[in-house]
Amino acid sequence: MERSEIRDKVVKIIGAYAKDKEAMGSVTEETNILEDLKVNSARLVDVILDFEDAFDIEVEDEDADSVNTVGDAVNLVQAKVG
Amino acid sequence: MFILRVIMRYRIQNVAEVRRRFRALVRQTDSPILICPNHLTMADSAILAWALGGPWWLLRNYRWVPWNVPELSNFAGVGLDRAAAWMVKCIPIVRGGPREDLSHSLAKIEHVLSRGETALIFAEGARSRTGRIQLESIAHGVGRIVSALPDCHVLCAYLRGDRQETWSTIPARGDSFYVDFELFRPDSQHTGMRRSRDFAHQVADRLVRLEEKYFAGRQ
Repeated sequence: MERSEIRDKVVKIIGAYAKDKEAMGSVTEETNILEDLKVNSARLVDVILDFEDAFDIEVEDEDADSVNTVGDAVNLVQAKVG
Repeated sequence: MFILRVIMRYRIQNVAEVRRRFRALVRQTDSPILICPNHLTMADSAILAWALGGPWWLLRNYRWVPWNVPELSNFAGVGLDRAAAWMVKCIPIVRGGPREDLSHSLAKIEHVLSRGETALIFAEGARSRTGRIQLESIAHGVGRIVSALPDCHVLCAYLRGDRQETWSTIPARGDSFYVDFELFRPDSQHTGMRRSRDFAHQVADRLVRLEEKYFAGRQ
């Protein structure tokens, strides 16, 4: 799967949890999911579980620790998808 | 505990029975026990430890003085609070901070539990703004700790002062506290993060049940 395709799906999933909908319009790979998009930290787990469903992957708690930005999320999914 | 009992004039309802039940429960298992109470005031962990153990029993059974997981910003800037946090068992955490820092704090909690100590973590992450268990705030970290420790048991506890309507910094002076708790071993068919989330939800379900029992008893 192409990185751009993964990125689009990742952004769409995160968008459902973002409190700052305006910031979703200018998302880059450097955008911080919690700070910039105001995703509730307790909901980050739901975001990653949605990645599991969307990409048919399994993510461990330790893998999720590396996810701070949209780019981190894309990297995680890309590594799992292979 | 002197402050709680003498200066603040707090009272624990049925304290002898509460402590008898708690001591009987913890004697049942050598497994790690994570204490997960509801969260309404910043004094909850101290009041709960006092209610469950009592000062003399805790002195003789120091491992049952739970490690606390306070939000760093709640005490880092105030000298007296910093000193108090240093004197009791504390593992600071930065809510909403970098995932790596959170992971490091959770690993410390797992470490102390695996060594036979006990830890207290608020499943809701922060004081409930509604005064009731906030299911949408349930922290994944609770489930993650349980998932990392084979045979980890969870003591869900419900603590509430009679005059506590919603949340506050500390309970009203002279308040009388209801305490109830339930020890269980979470189990899940899931793997990975779903397993941790399942555990966190099981803890939340039990807290809700304890809360419903509290309010049913007041009608």
